[in-house]
Amino acid sequence: MTAQVIMCCGSGGVGKTTTSAALALAWANAGDRVCVLTVDPAKRLADSLSIGEIGGQPTPISIPDALGTCHAVMLDVKETFEGLIHRFSESTEAAEKILANRYFQFACTKLGGVHEYMAAEKVRELATCGLYDVIVVDTPPTRNALDFLQAPERMANMMDGTVMRWLSASGSRGGWRALELGSEAIGRVLRTLVGQSTIGEIAQFFDLFRHLWSGFQSRSLEVQTLLRASDTRFLLVTTPSPAARSEALFFLEQLKTHQMCFAGFLVNRVESQPQSAASAIPQTGPGEWDTLRTQLTELIALQSKIADAHRRNIRDLAAAGPTNAPTWLIPHQGRPINQMHDLLSLSGWLPARQDLG
Amino acid sequence: MSPLNKKVLIVTGKGGTGKTTAAAALGVWSANQGLNTLLVECNGARSIGSLFDQPPNTYTPQRLRDSLFGMSITSDEAIEDFVIKQIKVRALYSMVFRNRVMGPFMDAVPGLHDAVHLGKVYDLVENEVTNGRPTWDRIIVDAPATGHGLHMLNASRSMMDLTRTGPIHENAKLVHTMTSDRAQTGLIMTCLPEEMPVSETLELNEQLSSAGYSVSAIVLNEMVNAALPDSSTWPDVSAALIADGCSDLVDLVERHCTRGAQQADAQSKLHTTIQAPLFEFPMLLSTELGLPEINRLAEQLNKPVAP
Repeated sequence: MTAQVIMCCGSGGVGKTTTSAALALAWANAGDRVCVLTVDPAKRLADSLSIGEIGGQPTPISIPDALGTCHAVMLDVKETFEGLIHRFSESTEAAEKILANRYFQFACTKLGGVHEYMAAEKVRELATCGLYDVIVVDTPPTRNALDFLQAPERMANMMDGTVMRWLSASGSRGGWRALELGSEAIGRVLRTLVGQSTIGEIAQFFDLFRHLWSGFQSRSLEVQTLLRASDTRFLLVTTPSPAARSEALFFLEQLKTHQMCFAGFLVNRVESQPQSAASAIPQTGPGEWDTLRTQLTELIALQSKIADAHRRNIRDLAAAGPTNAPTWLIPHQGRPINQMHDLLSLSGWLPARQDLG
Repeated sequence: MSPLNKKVLIVTGKGGTGKTTAAAALGVWSANQGLNTLLVECNGARSIGSLFDQPPNTYTPQRLRDSLFGMSITSDEAIEDFVIKQIKVRALYSMVFRNRVMGPFMDAVPGLHDAVHLGKVYDLVENEVTNGRPTWDRIIVDAPATGHGLHMLNASRSMMDLTRTGPIHENAKLVHTMTSDRAQTGLIMTCLPEEMPVSETLELNEQLSSAGYSVSAIVLNEMVNAALPDSSTWPDVSAALIADGCSDLVDLVERHCTRGAQQADAQSKLHTTIQAPLFEFPMLLSTELGLPEINRLAEQLNKPVAP
């Protein structure tokens, strides 16, 4: 049974990691077997969930009196990539050779799309292992939701593109010397750009790598299928600021273009109107009461202005999104949310799993 | 001498701390001095145009207002520009070459996407001339949020180490020299007055220092000014308010006191640790960020809160 995948996407600084953790704990509390995959957790959050020291293996999080279970994983790109290389290599020796390649050492976490590919791969691994009902994914704060979805295709293009086939084929025909003899303009341009020896090293890596490419390719197709599965949902996390709104709408456009299932907006740190009006302040009291009344009146006015700006921003966000898009508003808690009890206290404002469809 | 008085200003900081807003304000501040200023967005970000009621920025600089232009760099356009200028292969640089060769190649050479951004900035500084004078008096770069600008800064170093020879290597060396020259290039770091952003900013500062960079100025965003009750009388006052059924007012005041404390804490921690002049931007309560708001923020850049 494949687990449902819930992707929390949004730009940096909106509270994605906190939201992902809070959702995971809330749903585990309510009875699901949840695994949350975080990409770049703040150290304190990692510490409070006890995942700071762990690599790519799920760590159980114990929630008192929970009906379900919760595990957390921190993505380790290098470890995930190495795992795939071991899986698809013909032999341990072949795998070791690739892992020892200087270019691989230098480049493995920096290749275009690799970070996102490995995150997607990890999601697939967790979703298909049969241990969980739902995987909550704290996506990388890339501006482009496409990055996550396109990563497997992009890696495929990199590995399989004309230039790489040329490089690896040339490499295998006669070693690096073969590259020097090549008169193709393409080769000349690339060699001129980065120098002969760099091309040689890259060629050697891809020459080794192409033997396990078919494994990667079919795996990548499976990953893409999962990301586009009918019950995969994308929750757009944002805040009530105008800048965050335009980023959120940009993400939404991406999801629409790729026909991904948008589950709704989750707006963090929302300020609300003060409940008491200035008229409720007593006429006399201890201390310099006139000064105090003025200060309190000003604070009420300020809070009201802030809350009103938030309300209007949220209204504009909803208006620009699809009609009747579900929106969950999480009030500003007035303190950092790092400990488990803080995360659990958000549960009442968060969507239940069935609310996401 | 203002710490902002550099030829190249790179605005960096964690996601959501107001980099783009600060970059736009710096652009206006610079243009107000009559200096020909170029605002540069990276990784195809196109948010700045609308702040000035203009269409989104593209690879060709467009006028945003008097003395201020804007452009947006994608790594595809920058590498094409570079390849054509350096190796003069325009005829070869077709769509096919771009999609089937350069795209995958750029993905396979780590850091190349990042490196070409500052490579283009270098090109604009050194080679853009109008009537015999450099076109741009100042260039302001809104660094990418991912990698917090650090990857972009380090990319030229990485390129130098990886390539060892060739035009990219030579170019990377020149770019690295430009970004390391503290007289020419300034790093502006944005932050928010809350515990987590501050500690992440200090962490980023440490990483920048280790890489040999130093922050020229800090911009603290979303600051709120509110007079707060005297702490000596507050316990009695709050008791009276609670007795009168106004406990939510007590919560409100305590929220603002916490905010005030966090703001003061942020100011002192950032200024003391980073040891760079500190500027503050007020929290803006409008639903749109536009010219009036950006102009207001630009004014703040004339008055460092902590020099």
